[in-house]
Amino acid sequence: MTYSLTDIIVKIWEMSGFATITWQQLVMIIISCVLFYLAIVKEFEPLLLLPIAFGMLLANFPMTDLLAGPSGDQAGGLLYYLYQGIELGIYPPLIFLGVGAMTDFGPLIARPSSLFLGAAAQMGIYAAFMLAIALGFNPGEAAAIGIIGGADGPTAIWLTSKLAQDLLPAIAIAAYSYMALIPMIQPPIMRLLTTKKEREIKMEQLREVSKLEKIAFPIIVTILCILLLPSVAPLIGMLMLGNLFREAGVVDRLSKTAQNELINIVTIFIGLTVGSKAVGENFLKPETLMIIGLGLLAFMFSTVGGVLLGKLMCWLSGGKINPLIGSAGVSAVPMAARVSQVEGQKANPGNFLLMHAMGPNVAGVIGSAVAAGIFYALFGGN
Amino acid sequence: MSFYESVILSVFGLGVVFVVLISLSAIIGIQSRILNAFTRKKETDNEDTAPVQSADENNAPDISAGELRLYDVDEKTAAMIMAIVSDETKIPLSELRFKSIKALD
Repeated sequence: MTYSLTDIIVKIWEMSGFATITWQQLVMIIISCVLFYLAIVKEFEPLLLLPIAFGMLLANFPMTDLLAGPSGDQAGGLLYYLYQGIELGIYPPLIFLGVGAMTDFGPLIARPSSLFLGAAAQMGIYAAFMLAIALGFNPGEAAAIGIIGGADGPTAIWLTSKLAQDLLPAIAIAAYSYMALIPMIQPPIMRLLTTKKEREIKMEQLREVSKLEKIAFPIIVTILCILLLPSVAPLIGMLMLGNLFREAGVVDRLSKTAQNELINIVTIFIGLTVGSKAVGENFLKPETLMIIGLGLLAFMFSTVGGVLLGKLMCWLSGGKINPLIGSAGVSAVPMAARVSQVEGQKANPGNFLLMHAMGPNVAGVIGSAVAAGIFYALFGGN
Repeated sequence: MSFYESVILSVFGLGVVFVVLISLSAIIGIQSRILNAFTRKKETDNEDTAPVQSADENNAPDISAGELRLYDVDEKTAAMIMAIVSDETKIPLSELRFKSIKALD
């Protein structure tokens, strides 16, 4: 058999990705480059957005079979196996283990009423859920879209992987992008709903929390939450285990591993595999734009819910609680608490709300996990 | 699912979130009271069995900064002493525990 030079060039061209790439794949490659820009230059949640963008890039090359499952004697692609951690619901609870090990629940223990704000700031989840139903999404998809309002990436990924896997990339990207945009989304709503006098309120210093209280906290939360709502066991269980590692003071090695190596490794896997599900044919749909719009509304409604309850608590406490701390109930630790601090200081330079806002902030993590557990209990079997 | 059903479900869902977190809040409040009462009782017992202080200490003015007791020493001097000890021993201040600083004649 003889080949001319032209035959060889044609053969190589046909075997290359250039010959088979679709316009959708090209668009997705461009979108992944935009995400690289946002992650690297604008530093929008780079720890997650960078691996998501790279996963998106890898998944949209033709003929790589990175996402193909095993067939016959042929092993599956690399991303197929890594994706099992999402499919089986393993990565998000492991992220929660690290988050628990990094979180100081002291401000929440010092002022347990912070939990009310963490609950009110889940309002956006249900507002977006109702809107998504009205727009024609099925209940599982609507629940996954709504959970964006919880402003908690691992929770959103966990619930979406259980209820609406096809929407996973759009929801994960929307959730993390809006979390990065919290300093722009929340302040106008906070200023609109509060008076200058309310924003100026200085709060009393929190009491000191004993070590014993901090050790008892994760155990009590685990027992109560899981008995009340068994479906939250993977998220709350791991969150509280990580926190017990931190507070017990006898397993420093485990605590450090959960806070550093483990969470970093899982972050790489979760980002890469979530991004790899953003394949052109599935991602470039009108539904994606609707999800991004609904996600923004969910964030806004959650902020409204937190601030309004903050106002109520301000009134009930005789002006002792600054309503700005209510917006921190949307999770997004510690970004949302920092926004409360910045807004408080703008109104009164002597105002230090950060530690007060950390209470609702960590309560929001528990609140969004509980909301996800309720959705999973309702729609998980469908 | 109709829009009306989604409204009912949302009210129910948000209600459950509130119930869980309010219960948690109540239990944390109770837990803190019990544990703090227990800790206070333990501290009182320890104080009762503590050795009698020297006459000088008993006559010292009641100035303290956290758990640190200062006897005839102002806070600025105490802060300077703590910084010097930390520097000389190469132990970070956060890992050092000072019980009292007393001026000698």
